[in-house]
Amino acid sequence: MNQNEPVIRVKDLVVSFGAFRAVDGVSFDVRRGEIFGFLGANGAGKTTTIRTICGILNPSSGSVEVDGHDISSSTAVLKPHIGYMSQKFTLYPDLTVRENLYFAGSLYGMTPKQIAERSHKLMDFIGLSEELPDPVSHLSGGVKQMAALASSLLHDPELVFLDEPTAGTSPQTRASFWALIRRLAERGKTVFVTTHYMDEAEYCGRIALMERGKIVAMGTPAELKKKFFPVKPLELSFTKPVQHAVRQALEKAGIASAVFGATLRVRAPERAELERVIAPFQDGVSVQEAEPTLEDVFLQAVSGRKAV
Amino acid sequence: MNFSWRRARSVALKEYKHILRDPFTLLVTLVLPLVFVGFFGFVIDLDYKHMRVYVRDNDQTSVSRRFLQEAASSGYFDLKPIHGQFQLDQALERNDSPALLVIRRGFGKNVRAGNPENPGEIQLLSDGTDNVQASIMGSYMQGVVQKANAVFAKDNPDLTDAAAGAGERIRSRFLFNPELNSRWFIVPALSTIIIGFLAIVLTALTVAKEWENGSMELLLSTPVRPSEIVLGKLVPYFLLTFFDVLVVFLLAIYVFQIPFLGSFLFYMVACWVYITGALALGLVISVVTRQQQASIQFAFAVGLLPSFIFSGFIFPIENMPAFFQYFTALFPQRWFLLISRTVFLSDAAPATLATALGAIVVFASAMILLAVHKFKTDVEP
Ligand SMILES: Nc1ncnc2c1ncn2[C@@H]1O[C@H](COP(=O)(O)OP(=O)(O)OP(=O)(O)O)[C@@H](O)[C@H]1O
Ligand SMILES: [Mg+2]
Repeated sequence: MNQNEPVIRVKDLVVSFGAFRAVDGVSFDVRRGEIFGFLGANGAGKTTTIRTICGILNPSSGSVEVDGHDISSSTAVLKPHIGYMSQKFTLYPDLTVRENLYFAGSLYGMTPKQIAERSHKLMDFIGLSEELPDPVSHLSGGVKQMAALASSLLHDPELVFLDEPTAGTSPQTRASFWALIRRLAERGKTVFVTTHYMDEAEYCGRIALMERGKIVAMGTPAELKKKFFPVKPLELSFTKPVQHAVRQALEKAGIASAVFGATLRVRAPERAELERVIAPFQDGVSVQEAEPTLEDVFLQAVSGRKAV
Repeated sequence: MNFSWRRARSVALKEYKHILRDPFTLLVTLVLPLVFVGFFGFVIDLDYKHMRVYVRDNDQTSVSRRFLQEAASSGYFDLKPIHGQFQLDQALERNDSPALLVIRRGFGKNVRAGNPENPGEIQLLSDGTDNVQASIMGSYMQGVVQKANAVFAKDNPDLTDAAAGAGERIRSRFLFNPELNSRWFIVPALSTIIIGFLAIVLTALTVAKEWENGSMELLLSTPVRPSEIVLGKLVPYFLLTFFDVLVVFLLAIYVFQIPFLGSFLFYMVACWVYITGALALGLVISVVTRQQQASIQFAFAVGLLPSFIFSGFIFPIENMPAFFQYFTALFPQRWFLLISRTVFLSDAAPATLATALGAIVVFASAMILLAVHKFKTDVEP
């Protein structure tokens, strides 16, 4: 099958709860084998979008096609090919990991032998012992998330939806999650993932930024950076303790700035003007071009929209 | 509709594990009916032993004496033989006995003859104002009659099979107020109510729980179908509730010595249908409310109120205004109570209960269909 053929096509999707439009006219395509990242503040509508594509929420208008099937009329055909890890923890707390996996697998028609083989492989990869004797409720947050991930991947779905899979887990756990996600994509699986961590978004093939039910920017991380920062952002670093005074001076001159570690990020003014403002501080401060992060992009995209 | 047995079985297995790991539910389910039925049975047992009964034996044969011996040895009756004139109303006024047992002349002859058209008859006249005691006395006397029949049959090996069967038709007649029948067998009626109620509560929690802890979202994203979930959730709770049925039945028969005259198989089939209907009703509640708190409240309202008020347990149905008589027909408790009382009390052919059985079959099927139909397959609020 064509690698670049879109496997998910969302067109003018609107999902309303009463009068409130949680998803408000969203269109995008996701290609086969892609890691597609969904970013956005709380309540932006990410989960609602995912639920709609997974066929557990009905679109109010617009269309969602998965693999050429309209989602509203073909849920039964599509469900076996979809793996969904909900943002909410959904394993049964009183069952063990193995029992949870067995249950999930059998709902997809897997035999006990298939489940055993597959969960063995998955757990091995995730680095989790299958033999955890305790009910899931006794496990730590990271292990629980891992188990939930394993449960959603057990039936080897073509399309994997991960809704904030790494929320509240340790850096090591996050790293192994992303290693797994990349491996899934290498094998041709399509991974649709939401996250609050901007550094994780860098791993995605393409990302969509969502705000209040609308997509405000979409593209590869590099494209987005280029789009929102045609000129690279400027960064001030200090050799003397004049940071506070410099900020005040910038403020007076009407130049927005943000503290970024030990440096100050300055949002897109003319370099010459900036140098004029900081001239009085002489060798206490220096100007460099900085590589924009996705966080910058996100802030820029959101504030840019607000300014309009 | 590709119904998958494998998926239904997985749901059932999972549900079974939930039950095993929830000691509280398990305890309540297994102990509550015992405590409830046991308590009432015990109270009844305490109050009604050595009930004074005046006896007039007009027959004075070995058969009638044998019958009285059987009655005396049961422990329930304190028999006081009387001769000559006796005014029952005077005894009632003195309040020292609520009952008079009369054995007619010809009793022994009729029993020996074993003619179904003309069985030996005893007559028990009792005070209908204390209807609880009177009904209990009646039921115990019924037990004595049964035992005596067995004894007579053994004593008369030369009777033909048909005649031995006829011997069992010895009838007892009780002079009761009409309301009395509704209170006849408190224990079988109570077990009907408690088991039906438990069944509703048990399943009322299950679907709501899945909605509350989020697992429903996962379930809905898999290929599992509502019909499979409904069946999968019914089966383990069915087994649990059926265990209750058996325990309470044995308690009634062996501990409280309540006679069981009807068809055991018919009673079991009726129990299966009845608990299936109650469990499915619980599922309907759960599927509709999607909240445990609301489910429990509904289950109490739907499970307890009709059980006591519209079943005939407290208010006899035949005394209700016509509208309510029809209204009670909507409640399976009414029908099952009828079945339960009839099979315990009489050896009436199962065919006479066809309507009642039909009613609970219709109810159970309707509830299952409703639970499947109302099952939400999306997470919309
Ligand atoms: N079932 C619902 N009923 C009513 N409103 C809802 C429902 N589900 C979500 N919403 C609202 O829709 C909006 C989008 O919610 P959604 O869960 O999709 O956001 P999100 O981007 O996933 O946020 P988060 O990062 O917090 O997970 C929110 O304002 C939320 O309150
Ligand atoms: Mg969300």
